[in-house]
Amino acid sequence: MNQNPILSLHPLTKFYFALFITVSVIIVPNYIFAYAWFPVLMIIAAVAKVAKPFISFILKTLMILLVIVFLMQLFFYPGEDVIGSWWIFDLTHEGLMHGLSLTSRILAIGSAFILFFRIVDVKDFVKALEDIGMPPTGAYIVLSTLQIIPEMRRQSNTIMEAQKTRGVETDGSLIVRAKAFFPTLTPLILSSIASTEERAITLESRAFSAPGKKTSLHKLTKRPIDRVLPWVYIGIIIGLIIWRVFL
Amino acid sequence: MTPIIQLDNVSYSYPVSEDWILKNVSLDIKKGSFVSIVGNNGSGKTTLCNILRGFIPHFHKGDLEGAIKLDGTDMSEYQLGQLGEKIGFVFQNPFTQISGVKDTVFEEVAYGLENLGVPVEDIYERVEEVLSLVKIQNLREKNPFELSGGQRQRVALASIIVMDPDILVIDEPSSQLDPIGTEHVFEIIRLMKERGKTIILVEHKMDLVAEYSDELIVLDKGEVLIQGPTRDVLASDVFNKAQIQYPHVTEIALELQKQGVPLNFLPIRDSEITTCFENDRGNK
Ligand SMILES: Nc1ncnc2c1ncn2[C@@H]1O[C@H](COP(=O)(O)OP(=O)(O)OP(=O)(O)O)[C@@H](O)[C@H]1O
Ligand SMILES: [Mg+2]
Repeated sequence: MNQNPILSLHPLTKFYFALFITVSVIIVPNYIFAYAWFPVLMIIAAVAKVAKPFISFILKTLMILLVIVFLMQLFFYPGEDVIGSWWIFDLTHEGLMHGLSLTSRILAIGSAFILFFRIVDVKDFVKALEDIGMPPTGAYIVLSTLQIIPEMRRQSNTIMEAQKTRGVETDGSLIVRAKAFFPTLTPLILSSIASTEERAITLESRAFSAPGKKTSLHKLTKRPIDRVLPWVYIGIIIGLIIWRVFL
Repeated sequence: MTPIIQLDNVSYSYPVSEDWILKNVSLDIKKGSFVSIVGNNGSGKTTLCNILRGFIPHFHKGDLEGAIKLDGTDMSEYQLGQLGEKIGFVFQNPFTQISGVKDTVFEEVAYGLENLGVPVEDIYERVEEVLSLVKIQNLREKNPFELSGGQRQRVALASIIVMDPDILVIDEPSSQLDPIGTEHVFEIIRLMKERGKTIILVEHKMDLVAEYSDELIVLDKGEVLIQGPTRDVLASDVFNKAQIQYPHVTEIALELQKQGVPLNFLPIRDSEITTCFENDRGNK
């Protein structure tokens, strides 16, 4: 069993945490509050020993989005209170505030879910969803997609090799590769469609649609902390709502 | 013995094709017997297996005529899901017989039992047993996608027999196997028969077919040419005209017979090669 205090949590506890952050930044308008989540998430990532991939993923994806959104708001958000100008654009206080609050939320929600997928094994997550009532067919689709992607990559390499021997150029400039795209893609799609039917039959031969309840070798354990934490999240959310409405 | 499967005048054509792939097929399969289906490529063996397992008409639509009975009950009265426990089907193509949701061979073999709702402790026990029976313990931690054709074929066989169905339909289980692997698969199938299972096997390797099967069904262009005990079928004129390979001993014996060597009986197993000529030599 995994000893790491974060990783060993039940997948749903992790998922509810990401939801909890999402709801909290929607309730609380303050951008400092939303930005403050980020260091918290970093600490969690560090404890779970995923800080490095977590941060590098955020820098590579979310960061660019945040910069663009922020600049768009800063320059184009309509407002009266001009605090500066650049070239033909006016920078307004409203734009600045709006930019900050929007980016703070995107950062909090985005990084919460990025962290979630860093600290959860998708198989565990799907199993957890199945335990709370997701139909097995849905679970199957998610899991098989995850498994089949590397398989398809392997297959597309094989097809490319095969097309090369038939004289289709697959290496070289962008245009050359673009031209090779269709002769590669078509057999890949056709063979995927053909194997879908065979896969359905395979599943059936393994009693996929057998009447009655399935069992599973893969068991998720729920510890007391996994029962308590969701209630803590709910408690805090209710507290935040009361604070927003009455104070 | 009572027939466990009965086909009465069954004809079938696939949705897009014009012609009948199976034509007026009638046959009886006795409970606990080992029946092999032989015939040339495209004669309809796999199609027949699909009918026996209920995949026709559940998955492949098309036109299906005639009556199919399983255990005396019309096939159409079973739900597809119920059949999984009763009839196991190992298909011809080992490359598509992977669930696609399991990371290890152990889990892959366990998948059918999970679907049947077998308690977890029993699953461990049964999977262990089957892994050693099929001799794939060494593959247990391997990813099913990263196996060779022969390994996949064994995993596919294991994944079905672990479910312990009464009837096993096995379509060319040895196409990817080396001679020793093939022999071994036949031993496993024999063991299944000894446990009281009904075996329906499609196979081209006639030496092994003759060695192991109780009965033969000969298919030719979608028609049953003959069904009966293995030796009777091999000795028949109909088989001779069907352009199907004989077991090697049988072929040699028939050739010698043509040259004027009298046969005591028609040998179909390697072990019979000495006895089939014996008496004559003694008489001379
Ligand atoms: N899904 C399908 N749709 C249309 N026609 C099919 C389909 N599958 C098989 N056929 C046709 O049915 C005929 C019998 O095929 P089948 O696969 O049953 O032969 P087989 O005896 O198993 O051959 P082999 O020894 O090559 O495995 C062939 O002519 C084939 O073209
Ligand atoms: Mg076939």
